[in-house]
Amino acid sequence: MNLQLFLLIIVVITALAFDYTNGFHDTGNAMATSIASGALSPKAAVTLSAVLNLGGAFLSTAVAGTIAKDLVNGHLVTLQLVFAGLVGGIVWNLLTWLLGIPSSSSHALVGGIVGAMIAAVGGHGVIWTGVVSRVLIPALVSVALAGLVGAVGTWLVYRLNRGVPEKRSEAAFRRGQIFSAALVSLAHGTNDAQKTMGVIFLALISYGAVSRSAALPPFWVIFACACAMALGTYTGGWRIIRTMGKGLVEIKSPQGMAAESSSAVIILLSAHFGYALSTTQVVTGSVLGSGVGKPGAEVRWGVAGRMATAWLITLPAAGLVGAITYWVVHEIGGYPGTIIGFALLVATASAIYLRSRRTKVDHNNVNAEWKGDLTAGLDEADQPTVTVGAGAPGRNGEVTDVAPGTASAKKAGMS
Amino acid sequence: MSTWFNYEASLKILFFGLLLGSGLPALFALAVRAGAAGAGTIEASDGPAVGHKNPALTALSWVVYSVALVAVVIGVLYIARDFIGVHTGVYILGAKPA
Repeated sequence: MNLQLFLLIIVVITALAFDYTNGFHDTGNAMATSIASGALSPKAAVTLSAVLNLGGAFLSTAVAGTIAKDLVNGHLVTLQLVFAGLVGGIVWNLLTWLLGIPSSSSHALVGGIVGAMIAAVGGHGVIWTGVVSRVLIPALVSVALAGLVGAVGTWLVYRLNRGVPEKRSEAAFRRGQIFSAALVSLAHGTNDAQKTMGVIFLALISYGAVSRSAALPPFWVIFACACAMALGTYTGGWRIIRTMGKGLVEIKSPQGMAAESSSAVIILLSAHFGYALSTTQVVTGSVLGSGVGKPGAEVRWGVAGRMATAWLITLPAAGLVGAITYWVVHEIGGYPGTIIGFALLVATASAIYLRSRRTKVDHNNVNAEWKGDLTAGLDEADQPTVTVGAGAPGRNGEVTDVAPGTASAKKAGMS
Repeated sequence: MSTWFNYEASLKILFFGLLLGSGLPALFALAVRAGAAGAGTIEASDGPAVGHKNPALTALSWVVYSVALVAVVIGVLYIARDFIGVHTGVYILGAKPA
């Protein structure tokens, strides 16, 4: 086996791992509001979403223009660089998952690849106008558009249902939500599985295993990507689902349906008009909108602010990891470089996983009452929680903002 | 269209987004309201439900529900349009033969 083939195999495995993190990172996009409103049980929701993501992935008939095409100089892309970019994407996806922050998987991947490119040849390998106009500005546009549409939809729903007994309207909207959530899942599968297919396809072409003129990747690539994403979706990124469904806004089923309809329609429209908007940012915008549009609803702007911060540092942070990985793999070189790079990825992923086990968020406690941050109150059922809500309400989940008692309770749980 | 910001696409997404993304839940809400009115359970602002059943309104609510369902089906077909085109030769909803 020559080094290039070895690298290719590592890239394919890493790409599928990225696809898996992409799946569980984004389960919340489609299902968080259905789970929070009780329209679907947590297990039923992730199963439905996994099946639809699987189906959606098979519906792809063309690989979406390779994700990095307009962002980096395609002639300078090597297998090492793709590997380093993927590592950047995976590590950032796992870190944000640990913190329960819905951030864009595409941004993480783009950040990783841009960072690796800078490490490889310097800033001139990056098409900066592309990064700004195709990644940064669309992120703002997504939140604004989806927020407005979600808010108007929610307001209309509550206006039109004035006088309808709440029980009756809740029940009807819970049924409606199943359809709107299904649409978001299907659209997600078609859009997002293509990203990884594109990466593997690119790697196969650069190795010479697939002809440059091929329109579709080999069937095993489609199959593997669809399965990796569906498996990830089924695993359920419970931490992120919790933030989306409980942390931002307390969601009732009419709001959930309005938010999901807004997300589904905007994702499809953006594909139709050729202006790619990130699923995560569209959904977050819609959920915020559903909080703004419902009379008397509370939006936890602190949680939203924390997300926005994470979005801002997604590119540089994933880029840094991508750059370091590239440097390690390239400087050491050969088999050892690749093996050490891969081993570092596995070690980091394991460390993050073990950390997440300390305060587990899963299908049992995903809907537990939001007490100031992601994990507050989840594993301290036997401890008094009187301090929560006393003094400064720690609504944005930052240690500095919570009452002293909560901070120590949090410490007990987290460290 | 500027290099940095795609005004045209953004405005189109906003317009059709409001029409469909806000309109569909509103339509659904209308169906829920018609159903509640048909069952005589709408609460007046100054008192409890009047309580007359009205089959016509119940029927209307089912019609509106069906319209919403059709919208979802069109959405699914839209997502699958290229796949359907490639495998059946029937190009719908603006799918283009490769």
